[in-house]
Amino acid sequence: MNLGIFDTALLTAAIVAAVPILFAGLGELVSERAGVLNVGLEGMMLFGAFFAFLGADMTGSLVLGVLIGVAAGVALAALMALLSVEAGADQIVVGIGLNVLAAGVTGYLYETAFGGDQVILSTIGNWSVPGFDRLPVVGETFFDASPFTYLAILLVPTVWFLLYRSNWGLAIRAAGEMPEAVDAAGINVRGVRWAATLWAGALAGLGGATLSIGQTGVFTEGMTAGRGFLALAAVIFGKWRLGGVVLACSLFGSADAVQLRLQATSSVPSQVWVAIALAAGVAVGYALLRGRRLGVGASLAAAAVIGVALALAIAQPELNLPSQLWLAFPYILTLLALAGFVGRARLPKALALPYHRADADAP
Amino acid sequence: MSARRIFYAAEPTLFSVLVAIVALAIAMVIVALSGNSPAAALEALWEGAFGSTSRIASTLNAMVPLVLVALGWIFAFRSKRVNVGLEGQMLIGGALSAAVALEIGGLPLAVHLPLAVLAGLLGGALYAGVAAWMWARRDVNEIVSTLMLNLIAVQVISWLVRGPLQIPGSDLSRTAPFPDSSRWPQLIADTALRWDVLVPVAALVLAAFVLNRTTFGFRLRLTGANEEAAEHAGVRVKRVGVTALAISGGLAGLAGSSVLIGGQTGTMTDGFAAGIGFEGIAVALLARNSPVGVLPAALLFAVLQQGGGLMEARLGIPSNLVLVTQGLVIVFVAAGTFLLRRRRRARVSAAGTGTGQGAVVDGSAVEGVA
Repeated sequence: MNLGIFDTALLTAAIVAAVPILFAGLGELVSERAGVLNVGLEGMMLFGAFFAFLGADMTGSLVLGVLIGVAAGVALAALMALLSVEAGADQIVVGIGLNVLAAGVTGYLYETAFGGDQVILSTIGNWSVPGFDRLPVVGETFFDASPFTYLAILLVPTVWFLLYRSNWGLAIRAAGEMPEAVDAAGINVRGVRWAATLWAGALAGLGGATLSIGQTGVFTEGMTAGRGFLALAAVIFGKWRLGGVVLACSLFGSADAVQLRLQATSSVPSQVWVAIALAAGVAVGYALLRGRRLGVGASLAAAAVIGVALALAIAQPELNLPSQLWLAFPYILTLLALAGFVGRARLPKALALPYHRADADAP
Repeated sequence: MSARRIFYAAEPTLFSVLVAIVALAIAMVIVALSGNSPAAALEALWEGAFGSTSRIASTLNAMVPLVLVALGWIFAFRSKRVNVGLEGQMLIGGALSAAVALEIGGLPLAVHLPLAVLAGLLGGALYAGVAAWMWARRDVNEIVSTLMLNLIAVQVISWLVRGPLQIPGSDLSRTAPFPDSSRWPQLIADTALRWDVLVPVAALVLAAFVLNRTTFGFRLRLTGANEEAAEHAGVRVKRVGVTALAISGGLAGLAGSSVLIGGQTGTMTDGFAAGIGFEGIAVALLARNSPVGVLPAALLFAVLQQGGGLMEARLGIPSNLVLVTQGLVIVFVAAGTFLLRRRRRARVSAAGTGTGQGAVVDGSAVEGVA
């Protein structure tokens, strides 16, 4: 069977695209579950990307660079927490402000520090796991990968344990649903939200560092190019659940990889259509297995997607989808999910609402 | 007592002025730290914005989309809808306006130009309508949906300027120049100032009137202050919210249209909205969501934009400093709004006798302060 463009190189490209947004997504997941909608994620990633690059260039150590990038993300997140958690300012407005600020600060410092020179650092390179890297298909992608990839994969069970199996996780999730209850249990809601926000900043910084010194070895102005928002979309599309976020990041990474590959071809190969039909079929099957009943609209839409994709796979017309469609695909999918066409997503109840204690807070 | 009254009434305005001054001061500290003279930087900033007729014209021209976007934010915000999709609505409105400008030929200016302007309004309103519909019918938070729609709009424009609207016989990613019949005529010859400068003026007067003097404006404020109470008073909250979002998007669409058919280059390129959709939010915040306050706030941002250019050209100070200043303004305003509210609350509870009077006066939402 000819898998066409679905080779291991595509899988590797998908992982490379997914890792930065997975870092940021795992950060944002925790922060949103705690009730903090961090729109400034993009800015924190950009901070991480730039300061990691600057740090690596100045100290000559990539590891120190990564740490500096993470610290920069945390610093910006601390500002976010100070304003929105501590002072109760509007989270959305603060987030937008931080994005603008981060674009300005990184651009200004980059021009001041490097002038017009394009500095290229060597990246960390791949670490192979002896033995496993010989495995077919997964060996090349998962066992001869960048340390950032290993770190991202290891973070998934860590976040799972943190969110769902620890007392902290319970406090975090409760702070996003019913902060009064957390308060009544004698836990400091603001403290929980501070920690969750800083965690998001750290991981966004790490995601940014992955982009600059992990994968490319360069920094360019505005290099995150919307990946922070993509991570935000992944958290929403993943319905604020860990498994969902991981799946969303994989899907978005794959779309990006396919888009890159298709730019070189004149027509969408039939394998892509088959894959789309399969994905839609699996999604429907999963929904039915979970005992969800599909409405008339959803059933018709699913049937239409599968039918059209199969027809295109068989007819193989000379058809090239614009790459912009693939790039917009994650956001379109997220909107559909929000509107309840791809399963209902439910926001944490206290998301984006500042918490004021009824009595003690009044000055 | 009355002097104190005046001070309290003026406090928000004083606060905004203070925010602008502090943000500028921090920017100047940064300038000094990177080895430039703040005095020279301020001089360049001033000259870049007001140094000649042509520069003043450019500054006024830069105010046009800022004022429109800020009014758009205010309209939605009066009913407590948070439209962070103004950037996307600018892009789609502008694109529709550009399509009308390019694809319909042989019309006189008196027909073609109004059509192109209307297309901008409509495009922005419809695009905001998507978010409005999702909010009203599917209970989707408009903050999240408008953020997603922004990112989709970016891709739509990227596709348009490389696909259907690309300049024929070229691989440049831009459209052909708009025909003169679709462009705003120049107001002062050989400057950036075109007649579209009147659009935000008209929009401002209209917005102030609608918001403060009509039943619709009252419904908006009522909905914004307390949705449940408004519902009980017979206001159709969903309809009010949808209308507010559509008007908000329409104003952003007008801004996008103005950037294109009222702009200097006369073509559409990638990213022509250039973050104005977010800058306009900062303008509205600095204006404390008052339509009249938008004018001085937009002027400040336009001065930064235009003066920043000369600062870079003359002194080599990266124009990203402007972004830093704008970001500081947004962050300070967000923080200060909270502090002001707290001061007012403290005042009210000190003045009142604690019989519940305070809670009524403290309905800060009525003033449209988040």
